[in-house]
Amino acid sequence: MADEFPFEISPMFEGERVRKDDMYVELAGPKSKGFELVNAVETDAIEDGKFTLIGPDISDMEEGGRYPLAMIYRIAGELVEPDLEAIVERRNHDFQNYIQGVMHLNQRYDVWLRINKDSIAKGLNSLEHIAKATMMLFTNELPFIEKIEATYITDMGKVEEELAKAMERYAARDERTRNLHDEDVDTFYGCSLCQSFAPTSVCVITPDRIALCGAINWFDGRAAAKVDPEGPQFPIEKGELLDEIGGEYSGVNETAVSLSGGEYNRIKIHSFFEFPHTSCGCFEVVGFYMPEVDGIGWVDRDYTGMAPNGLAFSTMAGQTGGGKQVIGFLGVGVNYFRSPKFIQADGGWNRVVWMPKVLKDKVLADIPAEIVDKVATEEDAQDLDTLKEFLKEKDHPVVKNWGADEDEEVDEDEESTGTSTAMPAFGMPDPAMLQNLPPITAGGSGGIKITLKNAKVSIDKIILSSKK
Amino acid sequence: MKVVAITGKGGTGKTAVAAMLIRWLVNRDATILAIDADPDSNLPEALGDVVGQTLADQREFLLEERDNLPPDTDKELLLESRIYSILAEQHGYDLLVMGRPEGSGCYCFTNNLLRNIMDRIIRNYDLVIIDTAAGLEHLSRGIIRDVDELVVVTDGSRRGLGTAERIRDLEKELDLKVRHMFVIFNKVTPENREQLNKYAQELGLEVAGMVPFDEDIARFDLDGKALSELSETSPAVIEMENIIMKLGI
Repeated sequence: MADEFPFEISPMFEGERVRKDDMYVELAGPKSKGFELVNAVETDAIEDGKFTLIGPDISDMEEGGRYPLAMIYRIAGELVEPDLEAIVERRNHDFQNYIQGVMHLNQRYDVWLRINKDSIAKGLNSLEHIAKATMMLFTNELPFIEKIEATYITDMGKVEEELAKAMERYAARDERTRNLHDEDVDTFYGCSLCQSFAPTSVCVITPDRIALCGAINWFDGRAAAKVDPEGPQFPIEKGELLDEIGGEYSGVNETAVSLSGGEYNRIKIHSFFEFPHTSCGCFEVVGFYMPEVDGIGWVDRDYTGMAPNGLAFSTMAGQTGGGKQVIGFLGVGVNYFRSPKFIQADGGWNRVVWMPKVLKDKVLADIPAEIVDKVATEEDAQDLDTLKEFLKEKDHPVVKNWGADEDEEVDEDEESTGTSTAMPAFGMPDPAMLQNLPPITAGGSGGIKITLKNAKVSIDKIILSSKK
Repeated sequence: MKVVAITGKGGTGKTAVAAMLIRWLVNRDATILAIDADPDSNLPEALGDVVGQTLADQREFLLEERDNLPPDTDKELLLESRIYSILAEQHGYDLLVMGRPEGSGCYCFTNNLLRNIMDRIIRNYDLVIIDTAAGLEHLSRGIIRDVDELVVVTDGSRRGLGTAERIRDLEKELDLKVRHMFVIFNKVTPENREQLNKYAQELGLEVAGMVPFDEDIARFDLDGKALSELSETSPAVIEMENIIMKLGI
């Protein structure tokens, strides 16, 4: 079937670059306009294989010229639904790059194509060749597409007109993807990039939890795992839901065991205190529990001052990093603040008492209105005393946890042990949460397993001598 | 396709050598990707090109904008396109400037994307010439993975040779997949030629060429003129022929 085209079609041509010296014509791209769009429509509305061109064709184009290009595909089929549009649309990039002599870059309204001179010499003189080849690949590779037709536009006025309509479709699609949550998918993604320096790090990326580094969201995980399932990003089947609020899944727990080399076997994705996510060291923000106010503060990498607990980001990062579950501290990506499940096991935003102003401003729109003024920044509180005062004055939700007698206790505590503030990690709300600190475990079949955690061992001399 | 990394201590003339090599190779119809991977270098100026943005700018753009992009944006596609758009496309070669080093924060994912992108870009050229600082940063991060020839440019000083030795050790330490390592002596005079050859032998360094001291280069440098304008009869330019043979490129 490929014989009818004046070019070869093969995945081998992916990544083929058309340099300026070799280029016949440039379509769309950073210096022009264009887009690609896939619309799902009713079967009756389509004439399968039909191609329409609005504007000049390749044969009308000047060598070395630059023209706008819109590529609109309409697809139909029993299984075709609007949710598939984005996934199908992304394949336009792959398929057009299978065509020898055609370079396709980027996506959506940033597409950029070049056609090389050799292809023109071999007879590629119409966009119809490209459109027909692409449609053939769509139906061959994605069999759920039963019918497809394409309209290409190279007339600037018409491209601009259609682009405005396309932007509305993209916006509606973005709205849908932003509303994708953990419960809507069967697969999460894991990432092992940090394991080189944090060997027990278990990074779980879900629609409601971006990677700690802030670089990889669920869609990035999906894209990367699809390209290379054996690569650093890989799928995690969710498995059984064990704790809805904490975000615990059997599939994640199984992955935790294998990824951490048996170090961890439970992870609750949206929990701060109980089986929290491991912290690699790459995290953009570190959260820290302050027992004195029973609240959680957050400090980001760019904030160089001290948090109210008297510690700087670098100090806490050093304590928290390394791929460990550290109760009382938690590394997160900035975008996690925008998650509707943000530490929901521990009260979500109602537990947040402090963050640097720049960070707070960055996520301001996503802080619930009833709490936004009650979260202190360095302008409101620099230490525990001023923080306590601020929270009391604003009637922050954590204040009622202090309770009447506990309130006294806190005051007492403050007076008697002024130094306790330096080590917030040990002021747990419940000692039972220190579940993973057994220093020595007796083995079942003779011998013992000794686990040293945070140990510094120094030995001056070891003398081995035979028994007399 | 072959990847040649040219490195050396600042001031030894590695960028001048890189520029001359590129110029000579373009004349022979090779399609070249020139990469300026030294934040402190001036390969574009030496080639007479003006470059606006760098790869680092695109990396930072992604870091800044990632939370504002549509959630399902393919970041590899986006980054690839942005890198293609900043390639300075010249007759016979394309020039890519890497730009400033990474800031704080985590670059693991971005660098992983860059690795894939660079792998794809590099395959499109007959030859990739990288002008890189002695620390070999982009090589150590694996953004450019395989180097066929590692060339250390050094002047006539003992210290320059020390750098060559250190780079050889670094290359082993980083476990780079370098096939050969060569040294090119630059600014060679009739007086020190013999002595330099002897030093190289003692240190077990293979010499790819000896670029004679050339007054024209010094003058061009002073005037800020592109080395690509050098006369073909310049003794330094002529030595490039020997170097190309020796490097097998």
